[in-house]
Amino acid sequence: MLTGAVLQAVNGISLAALLFLLASGFTLSFGLMRVVNMAHGAYYLLGGYVGLSVAQKTGSFTLAILGGGAAIAVIGFFIDRFLIRRTGENHLAQVLLTVGVAFVMGDVALHFWGGDNLKVPVPMFLRGAVELPGGLYYPSFRFALILFGIAAGLALWVLYRRTQIGAVVRAGVDDREQVNATGINVDRLFVLVSALASFLAGMAGVVGGAFLTLYPGAEWEILVYALVVVIVGGLGSLEGAMIGALIVGLLDAYGRWLLPEFSYFVLFGPIAVLMLFRPRGLFGREH
Amino acid sequence: MSAPRALFILIAVVAAIALPYVGGPFWTGLVTQMYIFGLLALSVDLLLGQAGLFSLTHASFFAVSAYTVAILQVRYGVPTVLAAPAGILAGSLLGLVFGLSVRTRGVYFILITIAFGYVIWGVAVRWSSFTGGDNGVTNVPFPSVGGFEIASHTQYYYLVLAVIVLCGLGYRVLIRSPFGLGLRGIKGSETRMKSLGYRTDMHLYAAFVLSAAIASLAGVLYVYYNRFVNPVASSFPISVEAALMAIVGGTGTIVGPFIGAGVVLGLRNWVSSFFEMHHAIMGAVFIATVLWAPDGLVGLAGRLRSRFSKKK
Amino acid sequence: MIEKAIEAKDLAKVFGGLAAVDGVSLEVAAGERRVLIGPNGAGKTTLFHCITGTLHPTRGSVSLFGRDVTREPEHRRTALGMGRTFQITNVFADLTLVENLALAIVGTDRRKWVLHRKVENYPDVRSQALEGLEAVGLADRAFVPVRLVSYGERRQLELALALNTRPKVLFLDEPCAGLSPSERLRIARMIAALPRDITVVMIEHDMDVALGLADRVTVLHQGKVILEGAPEAVRANAEVRDVYFGHG
Repeated sequence: MLTGAVLQAVNGISLAALLFLLASGFTLSFGLMRVVNMAHGAYYLLGGYVGLSVAQKTGSFTLAILGGGAAIAVIGFFIDRFLIRRTGENHLAQVLLTVGVAFVMGDVALHFWGGDNLKVPVPMFLRGAVELPGGLYYPSFRFALILFGIAAGLALWVLYRRTQIGAVVRAGVDDREQVNATGINVDRLFVLVSALASFLAGMAGVVGGAFLTLYPGAEWEILVYALVVVIVGGLGSLEGAMIGALIVGLLDAYGRWLLPEFSYFVLFGPIAVLMLFRPRGLFGREH
Repeated sequence: MSAPRALFILIAVVAAIALPYVGGPFWTGLVTQMYIFGLLALSVDLLLGQAGLFSLTHASFFAVSAYTVAILQVRYGVPTVLAAPAGILAGSLLGLVFGLSVRTRGVYFILITIAFGYVIWGVAVRWSSFTGGDNGVTNVPFPSVGGFEIASHTQYYYLVLAVIVLCGLGYRVLIRSPFGLGLRGIKGSETRMKSLGYRTDMHLYAAFVLSAAIASLAGVLYVYYNRFVNPVASSFPISVEAALMAIVGGTGTIVGPFIGAGVVLGLRNWVSSFFEMHHAIMGAVFIATVLWAPDGLVGLAGRLRSRFSKKK
Repeated sequence: MIEKAIEAKDLAKVFGGLAAVDGVSLEVAAGERRVLIGPNGAGKTTLFHCITGTLHPTRGSVSLFGRDVTREPEHRRTALGMGRTFQITNVFADLTLVENLALAIVGTDRRKWVLHRKVENYPDVRSQALEGLEAVGLADRAFVPVRLVSYGERRQLELALALNTRPKVLFLDEPCAGLSPSERLRIARMIAALPRDITVVMIEHDMDVALGLADRVTVLHQGKVILEGAPEAVRANAEVRDVYFGHG
């Protein structure tokens, strides 16, 4: 029983790492640019598929991650510039527009990669298992994902909290007009943050595609998880995305283990509790 | 009422009644669907067009109601006269729970409704011992009350038409009532409403539960039309399309959602005959609507009408 | 013993590190006309928000005719007799003027929950709404959507909304802001003509309007009361002059 619990904890944390990659971009996009991008899941899926093709052509997982991320960063830039910009801060319009974009991207992906479950090949040195304390064997790849997630989280955190650029972004999240007034090019900042968010989403798709597999519909399933992370953690908060991802990841792992038929229900619990006591999420703020 | 308007209504009524005989089974079926999804879109619009809340969870009430009716009738042999109200009740009870979401506003509200919708979808898919999983529940009979049995699609069409007309009339009273005016006030300025003495949270909660009840009614009509239900009925695309129908047709109106349903379903039907990527087409419609026709066809018609009247 | 319409004790509202309202105590007698003045940023509107319940104060208490309403939500305070206007016009742009007033009239009434009868079925609401518009000179615009009506007319509507919630204490936040001189005069006359069974507390930037209407004046500066007294005394006071014309 204890090994089961430990196993699920590691499962949960590895899922949390993946969710953090996806949710952090989403939450920062909203915090800074007030953009709700429901195509984030489609970014994940398409990024995963592109990474898959790159891996198949080059045999390199690293190139796959970079390729998937870069492809989405580029696509995301155009979607942002020519479509999302036109909606201003109208969240309803943003949701509808980006859902439409996601539908289109989903069908395009279906056309090129088909409807079967596809798996991004795991690099050779990460196949196999690591031994965890307690004599438990755990897939190396998922373990590496946890380390990768921690590294990415740290890098983002340092960037956000300890650098000049991060300070500007944080100021922008707090009060966009003020940052504008200081003469900093807010537009360029938006493009940067948006590109980073898209890159992270595409990269997450390649990583996720290696153990969750890629299939039509995956874009919505992963998006919902990311949304719950962001709801729990609070929109616009990087720390919220970290804590939220951990909560959601662990709840999902334990939920699937203990109550497999009701696992979505288990996610519902924290949302309902939050609704009652803290509708803005753990670290959310009044906008 | 003006003469052109009365004439228009007369034509619509005659067309609706004559349809099964003029259009045959294909059109009868399609228009029945338009009525049903139009009602679902109307339920979404009660929140969107009247109160300013964008809910993307209404497929949940639609599906819970449909599943309740299906399971009761098929598995437990419960007659329509009990199963149908039970369906509406089940969906409305879910509305009481999901109504918690009105403690939030704006983006949070949208995201939470999306998440809630997925909970129901997840249950529909994974609790397969009860819901039948991906296969759902099949062999739902036509409704029958007392000795009166629906025996054909044409008869069902008229039943649905009657229900829709009654709903439309009731909805008309609802939105013209003090409560309805209050919703529009909240949409305009919630802070003002609070300072005028309104308990806005309760107002919105009541509206949410009412809209869940209407969506549940649509679910009942749906399951008797389709004769089966599966997790697709609770899926996110259904909720989004319902909102899209309201927007395309024109939010804040009574006929708008139905017109929108007609456009969306008609378009999908037509396109899927020669093009398989119908999700992409739906997506394109969303994008086009947002960019070029944000107040829908009714709004567009209004703008055209005023442009013509200016030319006089 | 004159009845206290409003008694606020040690009200404070802190945002982040800044105290917008910093320990304000206020007593307004029933029927009094009290004017709050002070430079921009003095905390006047925030003080109003704390008294009417729009914001939760960080500390302090509020009483309405002897009844402690500090814990009561805004809509309850309105039902108990507090009415207010907003500094930034806050009316229902997509509704007609008559509908705006109908909302105000029904707001403190059970009928707001009716969903099975049309508003038209309540002729008294409609006639009251038209009367309310007549009283502020907007009767001829009754069926026009607010969106199509001028700024000055919206300000009048703002006042009409507050008047039609049957207030016992009326909080007016710069009712004349942004109006032309003739419009200002009109509003000032309307306020002066209000019956004495309504207590009026007004924020006003325009010293002349303020001093013409007031029984007593309270001067706010940086969240604190720096002076309170009869209009003439306040006008003559050096500190007030400094605050307004020196650094204000």
